[in-house]
Amino acid sequence: MPLHGIPAKEYLNREDELAYLRRLADPGADALALNVLLVGARGAGKTELLKQLYQRLFWEGQQVVPFYYSFKTAALKSTTFARDYFSRFIRQYLAFLRKEPLLIDASGTPLHRLMPLISSLGLNWMAEGIDNFQENAGQGDIYGQVFSAISAPAGAAQRGGRPILVMLDDFTTAEELHEARRGDASGLTSLFEESMKSSLCPHIITGSPASRLEAIFSDPSLYKGTERLRLPPLPEDIAHDLFVSLLGKEIACDRGAALGLMRRLRGNPLYIRNIARSLRKTGKKALTERDLSECYGAEVSEGDTAFYWSSVFNDCIREKGLKRPVLRLLMHRLSRGECDGTERLSQVLGMREGDMGKALDVLDAFDPGQDGDPVFADYLRSRYLREVEERSARDIQACLREEYGAAPDPSVFEMVIPMGDQAELVAARAVDQIGKNIRLEPDFLNYIQMALVECCINATEHSGSYEKKIYLKFITSPQRLEIVIESSGRPFSPDLLQEVPVEQKLAAGRKRGWGFTLMRKIMDEVRVERIHDRTRVTLIKNINRSEVRK
Amino acid sequence: MNPSPFQVTSRLVKDVAVVYPQGYLNNLAGEGLVSECSRYARTGIKKVVVNFGKTDLINSIGISLLLHVMEELQAVEGTLCFTDMSKVQVDIFEMLGLSKFFLFFPDEDRALQFLNVRER
Ligand SMILES: Nc1ncnc2c1ncn2[C@@H]1O[C@H](COP(=O)(O)OP(=O)(O)O)[C@@H](O)[C@H]1O
Ligand SMILES: [Mg+2]
Repeated sequence: MPLHGIPAKEYLNREDELAYLRRLADPGADALALNVLLVGARGAGKTELLKQLYQRLFWEGQQVVPFYYSFKTAALKSTTFARDYFSRFIRQYLAFLRKEPLLIDASGTPLHRLMPLISSLGLNWMAEGIDNFQENAGQGDIYGQVFSAISAPAGAAQRGGRPILVMLDDFTTAEELHEARRGDASGLTSLFEESMKSSLCPHIITGSPASRLEAIFSDPSLYKGTERLRLPPLPEDIAHDLFVSLLGKEIACDRGAALGLMRRLRGNPLYIRNIARSLRKTGKKALTERDLSECYGAEVSEGDTAFYWSSVFNDCIREKGLKRPVLRLLMHRLSRGECDGTERLSQVLGMREGDMGKALDVLDAFDPGQDGDPVFADYLRSRYLREVEERSARDIQACLREEYGAAPDPSVFEMVIPMGDQAELVAARAVDQIGKNIRLEPDFLNYIQMALVECCINATEHSGSYEKKIYLKFITSPQRLEIVIESSGRPFSPDLLQEVPVEQKLAAGRKRGWGFTLMRKIMDEVRVERIHDRTRVTLIKNINRSEVRK
Repeated sequence: MNPSPFQVTSRLVKDVAVVYPQGYLNNLAGEGLVSECSRYARTGIKKVVVNFGKTDLINSIGISLLLHVMEELQAVEGTLCFTDMSKVQVDIFEMLGLSKFFLFFPDEDRALQFLNVRER
């Protein structure tokens, strides 16, 4: 239910994303794209972002009508889907006009009962649309029916004079739309193409895992005019704020321990909420490192987080006999970090090649898509220990605690430099030494220095602030180097973040603006965020063995 | 890398200007380099070799100024050659998709050879 998001004041750190998405349908603003593909890890907050956007448009907006639809496994039979999609759209449209939230949820009300309301609002075109749809539905043409449901928003945008922002959640599930049985009618998602072309009706589409979402959108017909918006994890300090506020005032928690936990949870709001909830349930008023690690172990093996991953796992791997092989495979990959060939794998794991092949196929489709997510890894570990090694619950907890404690604390260096006076070189020298301390190759460090210098120059150019300072934080662990660069001043314009082909750039006489391109090429990840009145850029580089001196 | 304050020196080899940027090639230094090249251009020199042997670090503003030099030379049908760049520097041009716009040589001699100039 799109209006049931968390209260706006508890919703942290997504102002930029909200502003960007709001511009999509705003007739006054020149939107940057026609449609947006919202990608992010499971639990990163994609659904919540749509709800927040919906809430704001619903209550504050006059012009743009929000429409939210989440694909549900229960409504994937094409005729069921068509009716569901169509009637939700009608109800949400009316709810918006009347500012009447109850209409959104009143899913039992048959459409004809809405007719008096529709005519009192003078929406003749809508009444006609409903008649047409119902006529269509009687004729048994499946594609026609689905198509007319999907086209309803675009049609309404045209005839009703109000743009419509269509938000499609869990779109990866839409791949399973079917006639009578799963897999009997492929390609129904491509029916969205037509309505995605309408400039009066931009779409925001999301779902998990990101790789499958991207795969759907590799279809060129859907690809055109679609921008990607990546939803990053919450930064560590914001994650900590969220955690503390979820615990509530009456519970105290050691800050260092909490930050350690936030790192383990990788700024994932879903995990943070889940663990805060179980910590509250313990009834303790002062939480120690030990409390956190115990609670974490329980959370990933039998808590809400474990339950969450189990349902994802079970949903993707429906064939019962395959669960164990897939689990063993995943565990093997996790501990070895590599994917061997089928033959080799079946030898190592003592499984028949046929089973192995099947398990590998399922695994591809499953794609937990949470590479390097320690929480997912711990969930797998505990499930493996229980189901394959048949260890006791106590054993499992002990293993998880050990794993939790073994994660080394990263080293953190902080510095503040002035803007200008080639201070960026000072930062470059610092990263050089920090890298040498952990035995990184000089060449590798040269690239990092380049990226850092660019970032500092950017900060200086965008400053225009009274405070001519750049705040730097270097965080290193054996696996990665992370540099956080913060400065106050004007936010970066999104155009700056867009990649423009070289020829186009030169032709436009724009010889500047290589900085971000360079940073992106050098680093594995570049995040730009607005934190209070500061812009924060985070540069992340994963460290491979080849980049470390022997 | 140990960037030092910037300086640019140059010399004329027959009809080729060889420019030696030293230290950190940023906005200040880059402008120095541009004006050095323009100075030669005004005297009719159309071939320029930039020797990066003493350049520690080039930032993106430096790169944009090098593009500027390239455009100036293109306008008079001149030639711009880069030499003695470190692997990282060459890579950076590659990453930005800019390497196709410049001629790279391992050292000055080979650039001069290419430009049909033999010292002495
Ligand atoms: N920015 C945020 N601040 C606070 N809580 C958030 C934020 N984003 C998401 N959440 C919460 O985190 C949980 C997971 O978010 P959700 O939108 O369901 O993730 P996704 O759809 O990406 O899997 C939800 O309980 C949501 O309310
Ligand atoms: Mg979701």
